[in-house]
Amino acid sequence: MSDNTIGSEGRVHNRLMVLEQREGVLKGASVDLWHRMQMECGGSELRAVLLGPVDGENPLGQLLGSGVIHHAGDERLREYDPRLYGAVIRSLFEGEGCSELLFADTALSRDLAPALSVRLGASLLSGCSALPRDRSCSRRLYSGAAEGNFVAASSRAIFTISPSSIPLELATGTVPEVLPLAIPALRGDDLPSIVRQVVMQVGMVDVAEAAVVVAGGRGMGGAEGFTLLEELAFLLGGTVGASRTAVDEGWRPHGEQIGQTGKLIAPRLYIACGISGAVQHLAGISGAGTVVAINSDPHAPIFEATDFGLVGNVGEVLPDFIAAIRDFLKMQ
Amino acid sequence: MIQIAVCVCLVPDTASVFGFSGGALDRSRVTEVINPYDEYALEEALQLKERLGSGEVTVFSLAPRSGSKALQKTLAMGADRVVLVEGEGSDPWRTASILSRALTSWYSDSLPGIVLCGRQSTDFGSAEVPGMLAELLGLPSVCGVGLLEGGQDGVFRLEREIEGGREVLEVSVPVVISAEKGLNVPRKTSMRGVMEGRKKPIEIVDGPTLEEARVGLAGLRPVSNKKNCRIASDAGELAGMLHERGLLQ
Repeated sequence: MSDNTIGSEGRVHNRLMVLEQREGVLKGASVDLWHRMQMECGGSELRAVLLGPVDGENPLGQLLGSGVIHHAGDERLREYDPRLYGAVIRSLFEGEGCSELLFADTALSRDLAPALSVRLGASLLSGCSALPRDRSCSRRLYSGAAEGNFVAASSRAIFTISPSSIPLELATGTVPEVLPLAIPALRGDDLPSIVRQVVMQVGMVDVAEAAVVVAGGRGMGGAEGFTLLEELAFLLGGTVGASRTAVDEGWRPHGEQIGQTGKLIAPRLYIACGISGAVQHLAGISGAGTVVAINSDPHAPIFEATDFGLVGNVGEVLPDFIAAIRDFLKMQ
Repeated sequence: MIQIAVCVCLVPDTASVFGFSGGALDRSRVTEVINPYDEYALEEALQLKERLGSGEVTVFSLAPRSGSKALQKTLAMGADRVVLVEGEGSDPWRTASILSRALTSWYSDSLPGIVLCGRQSTDFGSAEVPGMLAELLGLPSVCGVGLLEGGQDGVFRLEREIEGGREVLEVSVPVVISAEKGLNVPRKTSMRGVMEGRKKPIEIVDGPTLEEARVGLAGLRPVSNKKNCRIASDAGELAGMLHERGLLQ
């Protein structure tokens, strides 16, 4: 197996990425990261570890490009267990002599990566805005007012990568080799398991993973106002998000909050309705492709961070906007 | 009686003006406050103490000596004491290592039943310290907790949000938990609380300087979110712009 060659000066790092499944379905964020790494590594072999069984016929068929996937398909890994997950990753990482471990930035990696970094004696760089280059990456700081460039100082490093709206060019023709992987024998100093149960809300796409996000803020006037946004999101195959105000007012659940204290999103299309655009909110949408804003205040700061804008009361203009979009969609 | 430790850091008030000079934040124009996420952690600790009818809430903070003024607020809210570990925060690994040593030396033979932290700070926001601290202490941890119940029998029932759903967990003490926004509504400080807080101790201990940072900050620059906005005259034109860009699929 060849090492992965990354970096402009021909530096060789041995990278391992973690593929995540939940409820037997590959997680979009980690599939996306696999393909981003494929684009960057230009033909050299990727190495990934997939934790837990994946259901369906040819379940790994969506993973394109060359490389090796070590699949630990043990049923005990179906649900996230930090003890088992940590042990599998650690044993493979050390056994293969890897120096870099990459995760998509998700609830799971946020939970697992800090503990793993202590066990592996690795530098940890979370929430990287892009794939690391020369062991460094960038991230927004101070409520989004600044960007910091961080460098791993240890010989081993773990990176968690934020979603990106940069379009993927999928490699076709090659598929990775899948090798089965067993759970290693657990050491006595491993922590006890925590009883877990996962309650999924069916049909809900997470804002951090959606290709289209339609979000509302104070200008929606109340929880009822979001019915229009749900309609628009459905039409565009997207999901609904909310500003901090809308969440603090109790109009939307916290999981939909976009911004520095909520989720960082990277849809190809983001539509902000009745959101003024506080700097913390703008930090959360800096990864978005095209930004559209509808707001009654022409001086709202959101317009400065917007590609296409419309000045108007959302309650009045949204029905027309939805109707116009429906017409365009019918034409196609 | 359960010992409850709360880890608190100080951050620039988000209402401050963020100016940058020479690749660093201009601190002359910011006020330092308790990290908002850590207020959720402290509030949960106080509610837990009230629910159990007993307990001792100790706040640990890695901060310069001058930070004790801002930390007074934790005493006014109801914490029993503050242990200020003197030093500057740097990378999460060093911060977690220093806090871990401070906790083990303060509690000597037995760890606290629960260590509560905020999920992340609002300045650097790496959200790494709680998980690292737990691993260093040899304790299980759960990050981003939005609901915490029980505790009477040494078992907590927790919920945390994950993409597209939530996880329900049961953990036994001792445990490290990081608080997500929405876990509770932190109490306001009353005049009486402020007066009583002044009588409570702020212990200052030396922070060990053994660990090397594992992550370096190579550069910091202010960012602009500016884009050139095309303003549509009506909703139909706006939809047309999206259509032209190929965004309606």
